Amino acid sequence: MVNAILKFVQCCRTAGYRVSTSEVIDCISQLSLINILEEEEFRSVLRANFAKSRREQAQFDRLYHLYFHELRQDIDLDDTESTIEKMDEILNDLQEQVRGSADHEAILDFLSGDPMDFLEMIRRLQTEEVDVNQGRKFNLGPLASRLLVMVQLNDVRSRVERILEENPFHYAKDTRRILSRRFEAQLDRAYEMLLREPRPHNEGIREVRTHEQYLRQLGDRPFTSLTPKEIEQVREIIDRLVRKLKDIVSRRYAGNNRGVLDVKKTLRAAAKYDGVPMDIRFRKRPPRKGKVVTLCDISSSVWSAARFMLNILYSLQECFTKVNSFVFVSGLAEVTKIFEEEEINHAIEKVLKEVNIDYHAQTDYGETFRQFRNGYMDTLNKKTTLIIIGDARSNYFHPEDRILEEMRDKCKRLIWLNPEPESMWNTGDSEMFAYKAHCHELRECRNLNQLVDFVEELIL
Amino acid sequence: MKFADVADVRDKLEKAGYVTSKEIATVVFLASVTKKPILVEGPAGVGKTELAKAMSRALGLNLLRLQCYEGLDESKALYEWEYAKQLLYTQMVKEKIGDVISGAQTLADAVEKIASHEDAFFSERFIQPRPLLQAISSEDTVVLLIDEVDKSDPEFEAFLLELLSDFQVSIPEIGTKTARNIPFVILTSNNYRDMSDALKRRCIHIYIDYPQRDLEIQIVKLKLPDIDEKLAASIVDAVRSIRSLDLKKRPCISETIDWARSLIALSVDELGADVLVSTLNMVCKYKADSEMVKANVKKILP
Repeated sequence: MVNAILKFVQCCRTAGYRVSTSEVIDCISQLSLINILEEEEFRSVLRANFAKSRREQAQFDRLYHLYFHELRQDIDLDDTESTIEKMDEILNDLQEQVRGSADHEAILDFLSGDPMDFLEMIRRLQTEEVDVNQGRKFNLGPLASRLLVMVQLNDVRSRVERILEENPFHYAKDTRRILSRRFEAQLDRAYEMLLREPRPHNEGIREVRTHEQYLRQLGDRPFTSLTPKEIEQVREIIDRLVRKLKDIVSRRYAGNNRGVLDVKKTLRAAAKYDGVPMDIRFRKRPPRKGKVVTLCDISSSVWSAARFMLNILYSLQECFTKVNSFVFVSGLAEVTKIFEEEEINHAIEKVLKEVNIDYHAQTDYGETFRQFRNGYMDTLNKKTTLIIIGDARSNYFHPEDRILEEMRDKCKRLIWLNPEPESMWNTGDSEMFAYKAHCHELRECRNLNQLVDFVEELIL
Repeated sequence: MKFADVADVRDKLEKAGYVTSKEIATVVFLASVTKKPILVEGPAGVGKTELAKAMSRALGLNLLRLQCYEGLDESKALYEWEYAKQLLYTQMVKEKIGDVISGAQTLADAVEKIASHEDAFFSERFIQPRPLLQAISSEDTVVLLIDEVDKSDPEFEAFLLELLSDFQVSIPEIGTKTARNIPFVILTSNNYRDMSDALKRRCIHIYIDYPQRDLEIQIVKLKLPDIDEKLAASIVDAVRSIRSLDLKKRPCISETIDWARSLIALSVDELGADVLVSTLNMVCKYKADSEMVKANVKKILP
């Protein structure tokens, strides 16, 4: 009994479980307490001790079934001693024939009721890393090694047949049939195990994960190539992200906001201890919030990135003291009010429809900066982060990078997000390099993941 | 009171209002015999906490509950030192202290004399026990429920290890306290995060999933004895097919029961599409979920 359990433990370990000695001892001592002839009880004891998380349970069940049902099949059938002996004989013969090949021996061990090496082999195949260096991901590698094992299985199969046929006198007709059926069944099982794909084991987890993967993938797509339906989904992602960020922010403030000693509260608490200030109270430091000013190019080339940016910023409004936003093409307009008053998606539509800007004009960064200097310079102060979203394509107008320098000097940080790929910067009419000198930070912002990274850094 | 065997566990728990599968009963039985903690995992609302409550009812033991959360520390889980009380006592016996040291010649002598009375200042009198210490120092065996242990910090988990393996805790002011009676410990977890291997090794693990159809019907009937058999079955079937949809939050057993209860209150005797839609709030807790269920009414009610 103990031996059977220990062997099973070995199998579990080969299949990748971490089963400690103390768990084995527990398990065996618990088995003496229950009626082990009741299979359900027996199985739950093993399961409770060896597979200690949900993920492992499905595979544990499979392993259990394999070990205690399928491999033991040869014993409870109408077997005579001699058949088993004969099987051993054949296996020994085969062992002689294939000495030296580890894979073959694993298969033979499997046939003789010791599945460990074979399990190990399968696990190796399933967890094999796909070689990423090939540039493109193929699953050809694992498939090929699986094919190799299949070939070996077939090889063993034909060898068994041959042994049976070559010794017609040694094996009676009936035994021969039984033996060949037995081996066939075992080999089929091995075959099936080999083909079984490793699956994520918790259905709940699996669904979430695939959805999550899809969303990530969506996050890697450039904004410009999103379909309207995907834009909806991106909004959903943004919603979720915003909720997460707010959680993080509030938790951080809750944890680490100890300020100076609060005399009033400490004295009040000390009354409890006869005037001895046992319990020292501290003032809570108000969270440090920044102010954000955004300048968004809403010419068609950049708008798709800008809208998501605005969406995120306004959803996170309470993380900042104030968000001022401006849009521009060839001239500047302030849209702070629209975003404050309207629901975010309406606001975005409204900006496109109602703001007094000529969308078909040529983008003029220089003019925009001049207007900003004349009208809105006072929105910038030393607590302000200025975010500019644009491709810096100024249609060969004067870039006015001197004004940008003035703006930088007035604010805390100046960040430029460019929705063009980096390789395109400074080609043609792009003035990116002229502006680059004045920015604290310059980022490519083509897809949601980049945008998300940026916002996370901005807030945390 | 003890369980005699696995069947006895099922019996007693059922009398306490908790229907179990054989697997759960086996684990509970083993835990009660070997005095090991049980780590219960599973989705929300399958009756993890209820298992502990049912056990305390079935065995007639007291239930001590420790709800874990982020930031839970020893002073809330184990004990708190009552400075105020200690201070008050010290003030009141001030004169007595004068008596004690009156015969002393030197300062060192006086300190020595006070030191021989140190026990009076640091005694259990000034300790306010919290659930864990209560469980250990209790005269009778108790059921200790450590709820949602996955929400606690890793430090607290490490602290639990000492408790769960030796059933003793060390209090710096007094010394080590060993349990008089080993409590019946149940830890529940929602898989918010994975527990450490060390903790798992000290526990018997069980995963409670949504119950099988028959078991769930049995549970509904146990909780609502006067429910119509056919209605119970159709409710359970509907809930099970709702669960198979891709929802944000799947309806759990308690929601099945709530739903059944509200259908009884509405004196509905057959579950139809209109009833389902109008009482959907009992089952789905997200707007998107209810919409998905509405879209799939045909699939849910065959």
